[in-house]
Amino acid sequence: MSSATLRRLIVFSLIVLWEALPRAGLIPELFLPSLSSTLMAGWLDAPEYARALLVTLYEVAISMAIACGGGILAGAVIGSLPRPRLIVMPMVSSLYAVPLVILYPVFTVWLGIGPESKIAFAAIYGFLPTMLSTAAGIQTIDPQLLLAARSMGATLTQRVVRVIIPAAIPTVLSGLRIGGALVIVGVVVCEMLVSSAGIGFLISRYRTLLDSAHVFAGVLLVLVMAMVFNAIVKWIERKAAIWQTGMRAGQDTTTREMANGAIQPAN
Amino acid sequence: MQSLANVTMLPSVASGAGSVQVRGVGQVFQSGNQQVVALSDVSLDVAPGRFVVLVGPSGCGKSTLLMMMAGLRQQTSGTVLVSGSPMTQPDPNRVGVVFQEASLFPWLTAEENVEFPLALRGVAKAQRRSKAQDALKLVGLDGFGKRHPHELSGGMKQRVSIARGLVQDPPVLLMDEPFAALDEQTRMTMGDELLRIWAATDKTVVFVTHSLTEAVYLADEVLVMSARPGRIVDRLTVSLPRPRTYEMLSGDAFIRLRDRIWQHIRKSD
Repeated sequence: MSSATLRRLIVFSLIVLWEALPRAGLIPELFLPSLSSTLMAGWLDAPEYARALLVTLYEVAISMAIACGGGILAGAVIGSLPRPRLIVMPMVSSLYAVPLVILYPVFTVWLGIGPESKIAFAAIYGFLPTMLSTAAGIQTIDPQLLLAARSMGATLTQRVVRVIIPAAIPTVLSGLRIGGALVIVGVVVCEMLVSSAGIGFLISRYRTLLDSAHVFAGVLLVLVMAMVFNAIVKWIERKAAIWQTGMRAGQDTTTREMANGAIQPAN
Repeated sequence: MQSLANVTMLPSVASGAGSVQVRGVGQVFQSGNQQVVALSDVSLDVAPGRFVVLVGPSGCGKSTLLMMMAGLRQQTSGTVLVSGSPMTQPDPNRVGVVFQEASLFPWLTAEENVEFPLALRGVAKAQRRSKAQDALKLVGLDGFGKRHPHELSGGMKQRVSIARGLVQDPPVLLMDEPFAALDEQTRMTMGDELLRIWAATDKTVVFVTHSLTEAVYLADEVLVMSARPGRIVDRLTVSLPRPRTYEMLSGDAFIRLRDRIWQHIRKSD
């Protein structure tokens, strides 16, 4: 059996178990409501979930634009200039290890409990890994390629557009993948902590009401959101697929997918 | 070949087209607070159409010297003239450069890699394609244009690099240890291929290597450099007939030449 079929089989059995175990009474509905009752809860309160989803999506979209756009830009600058790199990179790297969520209460003091504080937090949360991996990507460009381009008479602009950017794409993409996933995490976690709207807020509120079906409906929605994001990244990666295979010629498709999957838990 | 000869945009390059002249070139660089002399008073002449090989121990500055001929590096003193005028910056119309294996752009196909220098100058797509195709045909890669570098063997990649160096039909081709990363057999074949291409195009070739056998096998003339500070310590004319054959490698004349180079290099170690 191929690993792809096996994977589908595992996902399928998990879904079946999700329905079967609570129904058979093996797991109390309070801990894990069956899939059907979860879907039903979501369906019955669809407008409420839709409103929450819109709020969350809005926050995610703006944070992602800031995190990814800013991260790529800052990473490109820092990666290509040696001095800023020496000054900034160690700071950013150690900052990255700090659980930034401890700063969220401060953000609520500054920006209130509306979308602004979530956007600010999630943007910073996703910005760091995007920037780090873009900088690393720029740094690891083979100097021979730039020398070759120069020997063919490439101007500085031509070197940036035709060599540096395409050469950095694979690393930038993996940065986007991690950064984007962290943005979703950041937004949802903030909504769960202090908030008045959004999916995280719904999950947290239904949890205090011990309404597990509604909690899981929210969880499911976050899951779907992460999967859609993942699909978008995969689509972009496919667009740059030739380049990717060129870069990782030593690996076959399966290992590459596994490597991608390894980053998944962040979702 | 026909169409490759037509690639040159300049109707006729000034007399001495394809010549390389190095006059009293020195290179000093700062390492910490020490001054390191990499090249000291190097002078050499390469006549148009000649195949000249630079050999020397590692770190003798032979690649540095080649980079100066390519306009990729500026010397501290002296002058480097190609086709009679100084190389103050890279000029793909005068000089094509072939590097070690890794210098193809992995995100472009073989064809697009060869077209790259033309694309930089805004040559129209159709024209670019036909020139790239001619160059690929010349290096024996007809039909491989749509492949990406990772789908090509080491030898084929180097052929693409040569095609890229030749696509603008510069009179001079500079090669910086182009076969160093290849295995022995491929290396031999590529040597023969290079000689075939050279014979077909009348280019001046300056070739850097640290393989003595390769040097004698390919060259009209071998220039031997000493360890740092790099100087030219000997100049050998290889009068073996062309085309060169594998059998010559074990001939007396060949072995004598190789020994003479080896004596110089051993001395400078």
